[in-house]
Amino acid sequence: MIVEALEHWNVREPGGERSYGVLRLRARGGAAGWGEGPPLTPAQIAHLRQIVAGQPVHAYKVLHARLGGRPGAAAVDMALLDCLGQISGAPVYQVLGGPTRNKVRALTDWSPEALAAGHRAFLVGLPETAFPNPRARFVTSVVERLESLQKEAGDGADFVLEGANRLPPGEAANIAAAVERLHLLFFDEPCALTNLAAARKLAEENVTPLGWGRHALRLAEIQDLLREQMVDVVRLDLARHGVTGLRTAAALAETYYVAVAPYHRGGPIATAAALHLAASLPNFFIQQTPGTGRDARQARAELAGADLETAADGYFRLPAGPGLGLQVNERALRRWTV
Amino acid sequence: MTRRGFLHAGGCGCALMPQATQRVPNRGLAGPLGAEAFRDVGTKVRITNVKVFGVTLPVKEQADRPYVFVRIETNQGVAGWGEGTLEGKAAAVMSCVEDFREFLIGADPMLAEHHWQSMYVHSFYRAGPVIGSAISAIDQALWDIRGKLLGRPVYQLLGGPFDPQGVRGYYHLGASTPAELREARDRAAQLGVTCVKSGIPGYFEWIETRAKIRAAIRHMETLRENLGPAIDIGIDFHAKTSPAVASVLVKEVEPLRLLFIEEPCPPENVAAMRKIARRSTTPIATGERLVASYSCRELVELGVVDILQTDINHVGGVTALWKVAALAEASGVKLAPHACEGPIGGLATLHVDAAIPNFLVQEICSRVEPGEKEKIWAEWMGFPAMRMVNGKFPLPDKPGLGFDLDERALRKYAFQGSRPMARVFHADGSVAAW
Repeated sequence: MIVEALEHWNVREPGGERSYGVLRLRARGGAAGWGEGPPLTPAQIAHLRQIVAGQPVHAYKVLHARLGGRPGAAAVDMALLDCLGQISGAPVYQVLGGPTRNKVRALTDWSPEALAAGHRAFLVGLPETAFPNPRARFVTSVVERLESLQKEAGDGADFVLEGANRLPPGEAANIAAAVERLHLLFFDEPCALTNLAAARKLAEENVTPLGWGRHALRLAEIQDLLREQMVDVVRLDLARHGVTGLRTAAALAETYYVAVAPYHRGGPIATAAALHLAASLPNFFIQQTPGTGRDARQARAELAGADLETAADGYFRLPAGPGLGLQVNERALRRWTV
Repeated sequence: MTRRGFLHAGGCGCALMPQATQRVPNRGLAGPLGAEAFRDVGTKVRITNVKVFGVTLPVKEQADRPYVFVRIETNQGVAGWGEGTLEGKAAAVMSCVEDFREFLIGADPMLAEHHWQSMYVHSFYRAGPVIGSAISAIDQALWDIRGKLLGRPVYQLLGGPFDPQGVRGYYHLGASTPAELREARDRAAQLGVTCVKSGIPGYFEWIETRAKIRAAIRHMETLRENLGPAIDIGIDFHAKTSPAVASVLVKEVEPLRLLFIEEPCPPENVAAMRKIARRSTTPIATGERLVASYSCRELVELGVVDILQTDINHVGGVTALWKVAALAEASGVKLAPHACEGPIGGLATLHVDAAIPNFLVQEICSRVEPGEKEKIWAEWMGFPAMRMVNGKFPLPDKPGLGFDLDERALRKYAFQGSRPMARVFHADGSVAAW
């Protein structure tokens, strides 16, 4: 049960734009666990190795605290849980007290192909605008785009508007008000969260549910939002906070009757971890997965040795175990290493 | 000896004279801890027995709530009834009442507030619903005894009635289609019923799809469209919505001028409910799951709630329900007490309702047309208990809570054990609130 080795690869996904770091921990006795996070420098990897080597794999919470949000902490967390599940002969969600559900609501980038493939909830970005843009025209264009998508996708489809941190608070508030009666699932990261007063005003002015947290570094930032009733969907980044960080945030959010929907723009190993996490939480709402461009999706399935991203009527299946349930293809891994 | 004979024999209410002047030796009944302090100021009436009845009705919608009735007997032949029915947890409350036996046997039943304080404070753990329901049953029975000993209905002891014609009430709406709703509207008008309540369809996740949101809004619009403007409509969200979902709903239905929206989210997080309350001018009602007046303070103080709905079977009986009203009064917060259990608590709550200036309307979980349950209640009580006349529950005129119940009548409905409340799940199998 002791971690003996830590390996790390920085990979670029073929057919996609994204890069991520893949990490493997080997435990004494042969179990190997996989994790994923941002790409790391050799110095960061060496530092992780120093902290993790010789630690028992079940001490994932201890190590989560000790790593304190360092780059790679989330990957270590996932890999430890993968090992622990394998050694226990159980899926990670069972190690964590689940399952709380038998399938996982799916969220992906909007495309007609994704709808045809079984997705029912979609992320829609803001239109590109030239600066300076006339405010009224911009707001109208957002509303019209969402209305036309709702029409095109039909009554069973729902949308998340992705503000992606691009708007100033005033403009975000205009949009949140204008889309109130479209009943979006939520408006994600409507503006930069550097100004709590502006975020509070936004939350107080509108009933459009708000998602926040993709850039939050610490749980305390989420606590501020929860305490002031400013957040409806906690969107901490899985690649930064790991399964353990998200579980802690979810326990806090539950006392505010607020849902968790982990932000995820990484690869398939983190997707597997996200699905196990979802199956362990009572207040999980929806899991984002990267876009469904066919090549990138096939590539991810090849790397993970598991097809995690097939949605049926808006839901993903729970992954199999033991551990994260992955059969990582090392040849693919080495081929993509940069 | 009849009750009235007892009260008037040998001068006025001699049993109630302080013992200092009576010096009647305690006939083998050792008083409970603390009773000695009241030797010179209490009465010589003593509690001799506490009986607990689990009562299971052969009625489907009552399956999860076998009634928990308590009968407290005294050495003066007067007995009082109370109710502590707790849905899904009948046996736990029955057992908890037994735990309080030694607080009561040999005690003076007139010391209702003292016993309330002792049961609550000496439980150390602040009461949740099980302890709260047990205290409620005992407290109601003590007030029933007090009324009977003093020869007055309880509402008179509390200083009422504000409305001699009775207590305004509402029934639950069974109708949902436009035709059914219009029929219900006409029937209510015939009967003088001025208020009804409905829920919203389905179970809600933390964030909801637009299909579910629209269905809920449409349901509420359909109610107003077909019931017309002349009837008050309460809508119970039943704490199955999150603040995110409830915020959207309360804002959109504001033009419907609802009487209230009830439990728009669960009750532990007052600030979360405040967020919803600020989305709309529609009054917010909550409180049926709260125990003791302490649990209502923050809701009132932070301006979250317009209407409190504490339940006389859980909050702590007559004593605690009255105190909730008192604390709400200063803030102009009204009371619309919850009542979805048996007839004893139902009748008990009318006494408090009649004696508080900030009373709004009294619930009863019955339909406009009485069913099987109401027939059994009438058989027990000898009158149509908790049925309105001209939109109001008539006030009982007998002393105490105002009914005679023969415990033998309950034998037919022997306790069949606790049954859980409705258990429902979302499409992914996860737990949903009902």
